[in-house]
Amino acid sequence: MTDTLTCANLSKSYGGVVAVRDVGFTIAPGEAYGLLGPNGAGKTTTISMLVGLLKPDTGTVVVGGADLSADPMAAKAKIGYVPQEIALYPDLTGRENLRFFCRLFGLPRKAVRARVEEVLDLVGLADRADAKLDTYSGGMKRRINIGAALLHRPELLILDEPTVGVDPQSRKSILDGLERLVADGMALLYTSHYMEEVERVCDRIAIVDHGSIVAEGTRHELVALVGGADRIELTLDGDVDTALAKLRGLGGVTEAVRTAAGSVRLIAEGGRYLLPSVISTVDGIAAVTAVEVVEPDLEATFLHLTGNTLRD
Amino acid sequence: MRPHPVLALVAANLRRHSRDRVGLFFIVVMPFVSIIFVGMALGGGAAAARLPVGVVAQESDPVAAAVLAELRAHPDLEIKTVGGEEELRAGVRGGALAAGVVIPPGSTRFELVMTQSSGSGMAARSAVDASVGRVAGVIEATRAATSAGASPAHAAELVRRAQAASADVEVVGSDTASATPRGFAYTAPANLLLFTFINSMAVAAALVESRRIGMLPRAFTAPVRRGAVLFGEALSRFLVAAAQAVLIMVVSSLLFGVSWGEPFGVAAVVGVFALVATGAAILMGSLVRSSAQPSAIGPPLGIVLGMLGGCLWPAEAAGPTLDTIGHLFPHAWGMDALLTLSRPGTGLGDVLLEVAVLGLMAAVLLSLSLVLFSRRTRTL
Repeated sequence: MTDTLTCANLSKSYGGVVAVRDVGFTIAPGEAYGLLGPNGAGKTTTISMLVGLLKPDTGTVVVGGADLSADPMAAKAKIGYVPQEIALYPDLTGRENLRFFCRLFGLPRKAVRARVEEVLDLVGLADRADAKLDTYSGGMKRRINIGAALLHRPELLILDEPTVGVDPQSRKSILDGLERLVADGMALLYTSHYMEEVERVCDRIAIVDHGSIVAEGTRHELVALVGGADRIELTLDGDVDTALAKLRGLGGVTEAVRTAAGSVRLIAEGGRYLLPSVISTVDGIAAVTAVEVVEPDLEATFLHLTGNTLRD
Repeated sequence: MRPHPVLALVAANLRRHSRDRVGLFFIVVMPFVSIIFVGMALGGGAAAARLPVGVVAQESDPVAAAVLAELRAHPDLEIKTVGGEEELRAGVRGGALAAGVVIPPGSTRFELVMTQSSGSGMAARSAVDASVGRVAGVIEATRAATSAGASPAHAAELVRRAQAASADVEVVGSDTASATPRGFAYTAPANLLLFTFINSMAVAAALVESRRIGMLPRAFTAPVRRGAVLFGEALSRFLVAAAQAVLIMVVSSLLFGVSWGEPFGVAAVVGVFALVATGAAILMGSLVRSSAQPSAIGPPLGIVLGMLGGCLWPAEAAGPTLDTIGHLFPHAWGMDALLTLSRPGTGLGDVLLEVAVLGLMAAVLLSLSLVLFSRRTRTL
């Protein structure tokens, strides 16, 4: 089956500063692909190139068989883009906003009315369609923001942080809706800072940092990248250096580092089963005042790959 | 049938403007408030109403009688005899009189009373100067004949003959500047330029808002050419500016009897001025960051340019230096053109220079603003 999106070797620099370096991935029909990365990692620049707002320095983007640089109108007609902002006219009603996007995307005049009603039903806003957007709640705005990208039945839906600032009910409604779209065969490119959303919605995930994809795969494949090992966070009171040296020699511990004055992190297979041995190893050297066992998840993988340093 | 994206943008923008009640007040109500009140202060009438000029004089004095006769004969003046200087000054100050003339008995030195900022006072001064000039010519000619040895009676006879001979002279052309129109005939074009520009700047707020909320970048992701989106935004602003101008022209014609002049000429001037206002609006929409800024910056800027361009008071009241500075900006050229066209017998051919200058300003502003606007909306 032909991929809905194929991008390859995408690079973009600004005055010598590389924003995106050699990024490439594919998304098949009915597949949800997540793009994860810290702030400034290059996600927005990548999306800008995929939707045709930025011209890449190198690389190609093909959407539904249409090359974005050779035939931008055909390629753009296959993309529905949901920006992070509520990019709709606040002083127009929901229905008027949807009609505007129908016209912008060139839907035949006769089809506009029916399609607007369909999308209003899809996003659950038929009863508020004639209210001005600035009277909508945050969740309603998010849903109509997504609806505006669905009007022309795109093959690829690109969503940039679509659930920022919404209540749990609206988030669930949005995620349920996206899952239905994917089940119906739409390809999805999803970026979010909420790991649990990405884990729930996306079939494959790319972790982006410093402009490059540093890891890609299913959730299980990514978690396996850090060895599938548990993380044990210990807080010790006593001779921490001696305790750390002893713990490094303990069977099953693959990594032991001091993270703060009295804090030690261990990476170990089957950490919860190793805990009694850990405590007995430091017995008499330092007292264990706190312990936490963290099983591997996407967030742990993400932090392992991108580091703990704060980003702007 | 597939709708054109430019029309979609224009329809959405016009619908948004139609819901902005404050904006509508400034477009539909405020210009006419200004036209009425400033028009009344500048002499009320729409066309060539006669200017009331007060005179303090003793008609028994021959010179005073001659000057009064000339003033009464002037088609633009309505002479009112006033009891004393105090009453005359009060009349001028209060606006009941466009100007006043005090003619002391036995003197050839007259005192003209007027307010510096009054357009009707300026117009009255021109008419009074012309009348007094004619009497002074007669007195000087009589004095010269008497100095040459003629008796007073003979001298008077010679001057009468000279005046009679001058009536035989055929004037084949003249280049005298007409007086600035008064009343609504002045304030209607002045406020057309003023409010077309100010309201264009104010509607730039919607442009900033579209940019700020990411509406325009989102529109660029649709299968629409970038130029079509920019053209749609520019056309929306142009239509608002043109609608403002047409509204003022129609209402001022119907309610105040303002005669705008030859339609092609007026359409050309108003069209290029609306383009200038459109360029300024897009430039404003490209440069500022907050949608509150155009409303805060636009009106003061528009008023200053209006002051320099003669939209708040007649250019002759401002003096040559301000007039020169004013012509660096569009309002002065627009006023020159619209006032020229309001005179009978003029047309597009008489305002080609003004139209060309305004066209050049519009081209520069639109090019610059669209390039900046395109850059500002390039990324997400």
